[in-house]
Amino acid sequence: MRRLWLLLLILVPLAAAPPRRVVSQAVGTDELLLALADPGQVAALSNLGRDARYSPVAGEAKAYPTLKDSDAESVLSFRPDLVLAASFTRPETLALLRRAGVRLVVLDRFDTLEDVYADLRILGRELGHPERAEALIAQCRARVAALARRLQGVHPVRVLAASIYPFTAGAGTTFQDLCDHAGALNVAAEAGLKGHQPTPTERLLTWNAEVLVADDEPAIRARLAELPSYRLLPAFRAGHLVLLPGPLMSCVSHHRIDAYEQLARALHPERFR
Amino acid sequence: MRARLALPLLLVILVAAILASLAFGELRLSVSQVVGALTGHGGDELARTVVRDFRLPRTLVGVAAGAALAASGVVMQAFFRNPLADPGLLGVSSGGALGAVAVLALGPALGLAAASIWTLPLASIVGAFIATGAVMMLAQRGAGTERLLLSGIALNALLGAGTSFLLTITAGHFEVNAQILFWLMGGLENRSWEHVWMGLPIILLGCALLLPLGRGLNLLSLGEQSAQSLGVDVRRLRRRLIVLATILTALATAIGGIIGFVGLLVPHVLRLAFGPDHRRLLPFSMLGGAAFLLICDLVTRLFPIGLRLGVVTAVVGGPFFLWLLRRPR
Amino acid sequence: MTSALQASALTVPGRLEDVDLDLGPGELVAVVGPNGAGKSTLFQALAGLLPTDGQILWNGQPLSSISFQERGRRLAWVGQEAIFDFAFSVRDVVAQGRYAWNDDPSGVTEALAAMDLLTLADRPVTRLSGGERHRVILARALATTAPLQLWDEPVAQLDVRHALEVHRLARHLAEAGGTVLVSLHDIRAAYRFDRVLVLDRSRLVGNGKPHEVLTADLIRTVFRVEATFVTSLVPELPAT
Repeated sequence: MRRLWLLLLILVPLAAAPPRRVVSQAVGTDELLLALADPGQVAALSNLGRDARYSPVAGEAKAYPTLKDSDAESVLSFRPDLVLAASFTRPETLALLRRAGVRLVVLDRFDTLEDVYADLRILGRELGHPERAEALIAQCRARVAALARRLQGVHPVRVLAASIYPFTAGAGTTFQDLCDHAGALNVAAEAGLKGHQPTPTERLLTWNAEVLVADDEPAIRARLAELPSYRLLPAFRAGHLVLLPGPLMSCVSHHRIDAYEQLARALHPERFR
Repeated sequence: MRARLALPLLLVILVAAILASLAFGELRLSVSQVVGALTGHGGDELARTVVRDFRLPRTLVGVAAGAALAASGVVMQAFFRNPLADPGLLGVSSGGALGAVAVLALGPALGLAAASIWTLPLASIVGAFIATGAVMMLAQRGAGTERLLLSGIALNALLGAGTSFLLTITAGHFEVNAQILFWLMGGLENRSWEHVWMGLPIILLGCALLLPLGRGLNLLSLGEQSAQSLGVDVRRLRRRLIVLATILTALATAIGGIIGFVGLLVPHVLRLAFGPDHRRLLPFSMLGGAAFLLICDLVTRLFPIGLRLGVVTAVVGGPFFLWLLRRPR
Repeated sequence: MTSALQASALTVPGRLEDVDLDLGPGELVAVVGPNGAGKSTLFQALAGLLPTDGQILWNGQPLSSISFQERGRRLAWVGQEAIFDFAFSVRDVVAQGRYAWNDDPSGVTEALAAMDLLTLADRPVTRLSGGERHRVILARALATTAPLQLWDEPVAQLDVRHALEVHRLARHLAEAGGTVLVSLHDIRAAYRFDRVLVLDRSRLVGNGKPHEVLTADLIRTVFRVEATFVTSLVPELPAT
C-alpha cells in the first residue's frame, strides 16, 4: 500500500510537470510563448522569429534557437514535449507532428483581443503558469482601457491600409481591429469590403481616405507612388501617410496594443500631450 | 471577297473596344463625363483623373501588348510553318518572366526593386533578350528551324524551372510571392503612363517594320528552299523576323506580364476567316490582337471576382482550341 | 556557245564529290542515278540552296555574285516535296513565282493552263492530291519564266498523261532556249532527253547522249540490274 502511495507521489508531479521543451511554429505563437514561459521552457522559436520584418519580438528571440524551416522534421529535431502551432500551419505538418505523438496545441483564433486573451489562457495552462496569463491579460485590458479613455469622443479619422501587395483589408481583419482601437474609420470596410479583397483601382478615389497607413518598409513611399491607385489619391499627394512597423501591422498577439497606441498617437496627437 | 470587309470590320471592333475600355470600369461614368475628361472641357476632377490616369494608359498598354503579341504570333506561325506556333516558342516570354520574377524575388535583398517603376519591365526585357540570344546560340550555324524549335523547348523548360525555383524560395514571403504570381498571370492593373511610353512607341515601330515583310512571309511559310529559289533572301528575312518578333514579345511581356493565347489564337482565327495571305494577316492580327486583349481586360474589370487577364484569355482560348482540334482537317 | 549552267569541282561534303558539268542553252538534260546517289543534292547545289565547295556559274557569272532577286528570275527550282502548311489558293501559290518580278501577274494564267490547273485555280492547296500539288509547284516554276529550270523528280507522282505533258513542256522550254534539268527514276524515259547525267555514290559517272551513256555495262554497274533492249509499249501524246 505504501509503495502505491510512493508511486503516486512520484507520478503525479511527473504527470503534472510543465513542459520543458516547447517549440513554437509560428511568429504569433512565438510572441505568446515568450510572454508566458520561463526561459528554460523554450526549446525553439519559429524560423521567422528573429526576422525583424515579421516578428515584433525579434530582439528577444535572438536569445533562443530557431527552427530551420516550418517542416515537421525541423520541429521534431528539438525533441519537443509541446508544440505550438497556428491554424495557418500546413495541415501536412500538423498531421506528421500528431503522428509523432507530440503534444500539439493549435491556436486558431486571432481576430480580436478577446481571442488573444483566450489563447493566452490556454497557453498559460499548458505551460503551468496560469497566473502569468491572467496578469498579462489584466495588464492588456488596462492599457486598452486607458487608450480608450484618451480617445474618448474623438472624431474618427478616415484611413486606408496601403500596400504594394495588391490586396486591401476590409472588415473583419486585424487592420480593422487596429482601426477600432485607434480612433480610425476603415474606409474599405465602410465601402463594404469584407476580409482581404483585391485592391480596387478606381473606386479608391471615391472612398475619401484622409490618411494612408502602411508598413514601414524601405522606400515604401516611392513604391506606393508607382501605383496609380495610390499615387493619385489626394491623401497620398498631401503626404498623409502613417508608417507602422511591419511586424506590428500584421501582429496577431497582444503586442498589437503597441500598434493601437502608435496609430492613435499619429492620428490624434492632440490627445497625447 | 470577305477579306475586303475585314479591315473595316476589325477597325470598328477595335475602336469599339477602346471606347468601351474608356467608358467602363469600377466607377460609373456617363458618356459626357468620359468625353469631357478626354477633351478637357468640363467634367469633374474625378472623371478626369479616372479616365486620363487610369483608363487611358491601361487601354493604350492593352492595345500595344495585344497588337505586339498577335503580330509576333503571325511571324512564329509562318516561320515555323505551323499554325499552332506561338510567340513564346523561342523562350522570349519565359526569359521575360524570369527577369521580372528575379527582380521581384531577389530585389528586396539587393535593394533593387525599390529603384523605380522602370526596373521591373527593364529586367523583363533584358531577360527576354538573353533568352532569345541563348536560343540562337544553342541552335547555332544559321539556326535551322528544327534546331531553333528544339533549343526553344529546352530553354523554356530551363527558364520555367528557374522561375519555379524563385517562387519556392520566396514562398514564406507572402507579398513577394503574391506579386510574382500576379505578374505570371498577366494583367493591366496599375498601368501608368510610364508603361505606355515604354511599350507603345517601339511596338508601333516594330509593327510598322513588320508589315512590308508580309510578301516574303507568304513564300517563307511554304518552305525555305522554295522561297529562296523564288528570289527571297531567306537568311536576311529570317533574321529580321526573329529580331522583330523578339522585340515585340519582349515589350508586350514587359508591360503586361505573361498573357497567353493572344499570339496563338488571334492569327489562327483570322487566318481561318480571311485567308493566309500575310500581307493582310499581319495588319488584321495587329488590330484583332489589340481588340481581343482589350475585351478580355474589360471582362476582368466588369466582373471583379479577381479574374486575371491571363486567366480570361486562357478560358477563352482553351475551349476554342479544343473545338479547333475537333474539326476535321 | 555560251554556257548556261556550269559547275567545276562541285563538292558537298559527304553528298557530292567533285562534279564538273557544262550545259548550254537549249539543252534538255536528264539526271539519273540510284537512290542516295546525290541527285537532289546536285539540284539544290546548282540552285544555290546549299553551301558548296567548288564553283557554280550561271551564264558565265559566279553564283555568289548574283543577287537573290536576280537568282529568282534566272533559275527555277522544283523540289521533291510539295508540302503546303497553309491554305493558299492554287492561283496564289503559282503567282508566288512572280515574286522576283515584283509580283507582275503576267504569265500566271499561262502557267496554270500549262499544268492543267485552271479548274483548280481557286482551290486551297491543302485540299489537293499529291499529284495535283506537284503540278502546282511546277506551274509556279513555269510562272517565273526563268531560263534555267531544275526539276527534281517532277513526274514521280503524276499519272501517265500529266507526266507526258510535263515532258513535252520541258521540250518546249528547251526549244525556246532554256536549259532544263529533270531528275528521273525511270531510266527508260531518259531516252527522250538530249543529254543524260548519271550519278552514282556522289560522283558523276556518265555525261553524254543517252544511247552512248546508258550502256548495259553502266546500267549493270550503277543500277545493278540487267538491261535488255527491246521494243515495248511506248505511250505518246496524240499529235496536236
